[in-house]
Amino acid sequence: MSERTVLVIDDDIDLVEIIRVTLEREKMKVIDAQNGERGFALAKERHPDLVLLDVMMGTIDEGFQVAYKLRGEPLTKDIPIIMMSAVGERTGFTFDKSRDADFLPVSEFLEKPVSPRKLVDMVRKHLPTTT
Amino acid sequence: MRPEQHLSQEASLFASASSLRRRLDWFNRLRWGAVAVLLAAVTVLGGFTIIPLPVGPTLWVAGILALVNLGYTVRNRLLPARAVRTEIRIVKLEMACDLVLLTVVLNLTGGVENPFMYLYVLHVVIAALLFKGREVFQITWLAIALFTGEVLGEHLGLLPHHHLLGASTLTHETRYIVAVLGSFWFVMLSGAYVGASIMRHNRTIRDELVVRQGELLKADVAMRDFFRFVAHEVKSPVNTARSAIEATLEIHGGEVAPGARDLLERARGRLDQATEMVKDLSDLTRSAVLRNELPAPVDLAAVAARALDEQREPAAATGQRLLLRAPTDGPIMVTTSEGAVAKILGNLVSNAVRYNRPGGPVTVTVARLADGARLEVADEGIGIAPEEQGRVFDEFYRTAAAQQRTSLGTGLGLPIVHRLVSELGGAVVLRSALGQGTTVTVDLPAAAPAGSGGGGSK
Repeated sequence: MSERTVLVIDDDIDLVEIIRVTLEREKMKVIDAQNGERGFALAKERHPDLVLLDVMMGTIDEGFQVAYKLRGEPLTKDIPIIMMSAVGERTGFTFDKSRDADFLPVSEFLEKPVSPRKLVDMVRKHLPTTT
Repeated sequence: MRPEQHLSQEASLFASASSLRRRLDWFNRLRWGAVAVLLAAVTVLGGFTIIPLPVGPTLWVAGILALVNLGYTVRNRLLPARAVRTEIRIVKLEMACDLVLLTVVLNLTGGVENPFMYLYVLHVVIAALLFKGREVFQITWLAIALFTGEVLGEHLGLLPHHHLLGASTLTHETRYIVAVLGSFWFVMLSGAYVGASIMRHNRTIRDELVVRQGELLKADVAMRDFFRFVAHEVKSPVNTARSAIEATLEIHGGEVAPGARDLLERARGRLDQATEMVKDLSDLTRSAVLRNELPAPVDLAAVAARALDEQREPAAATGQRLLLRAPTDGPIMVTTSEGAVAKILGNLVSNAVRYNRPGGPVTVTVARLADGARLEVADEGIGIAPEEQGRVFDEFYRTAAAQQRTSLGTGLGLPIVHRLVSELGGAVVLRSALGQGTTVTVDLPAAAPAGSGGGGSK
């Protein structure tokens, strides 16, 4: 099984390091971007196996905008996206995974604080199976 | 700060159309009183010829007054209020009509000889209450003109004079007439001036209050927005630190000495507490629960069962029993906010479990009241000292015994309960004895007030 690449798009570099340490231990490669624009460019350029995306970066919904852009781009439209947001965060959107899944182009929501075990389970679940 | 009552925009004008209507109702009653007094005076004084009143014409005037007043009353009760300006114009017409009738009555009852001429002043006072500056003087000048015309008309023989006191000739005494008119003009004009000034002052204060309230509401919204921003800013570093500790424990847990591991776990607990605190605070500062949620029928026992279920794990850790008591003859439903009830019970049950004695029971009782329902959460735990019972609903207050039991706890649970219960139109009572346990009783009305509570943000 070849090394999998996960792109983390989050402006909190400490959290990025935590995710890096956690995922590298699972033999995955982590690349990162601290804003949506750079993240989108990196996704097109490196075509990662999965994207971990923070909802609230520069603006309260930057994450959602990045998700829509990734889905609209042929190069990246099939990459699974896990979206991260703080528990009970009032972003102006109240989203309910069961209800809004059809409208939001993401595979799963992961609540902060991110638990390493949950993170690994979720990433494994959504990584595409190798052919 | 929660400004709940909004001063209406019309209040800044001086009166709303509907409040004007209520005052007019009162004036109509006064007018019925005038009709009654007039009839009584004619019957008693005129009928027994104590004072020689012209009975026939006076009865006519009383009849006309009764008739127009009937018209006013019917209009007031049956027709919807129109724009304030229109209503004011109608009131001015009614008042002018009253003044004309008063002048006719005065003419019939002795003119300048009748001491009731000062009834005109009453109209000026009422005008000052209802109208603004210039309008008060319009009514005043009309009254002055009518009275002066009446007095001079009689004096000059243009109008008939009805003697009030035998064959008195006061009406032909020029010096007396001048004195009466002089004092009358003075009292009327100064009365109008003082009345209008006082009311102008009152209206200025009122305008200022309306403006101030608008500013307060804006400041309240800004404060909530700022709080939300701060909460998010605080939450992020706390979450990241917690994740870092958890990752350390999970990845390097085996290499860490037991003492260090214990310290990391304590740190994790305190960070959880900080997260809870931010969550609780945002519950506390959030505007009314029902603002965005219409009251709906809620099965209280079902919500209570879920609240107990959530505490099953910590309760089991100390051997506590969780009991739910609810009547068996069907569910107890109240029309309220399910989210708010769930939070109320969630807070109360988690408090009960946290401060209970090991192995003690936590009992939630759901009962029907004549006009609502009662929720009761009881434990047999550490209890609250009498001198502390008044303070446990204060933000961040934690009793000495609670702090001794655990450093984890936000001191915000009961304030949230208190706030939510009052938003739902209910009441909360706490009974407790140190070392014996605490019982919190929440009474909820059958239907929560819709759109209750205030605040400007969602």
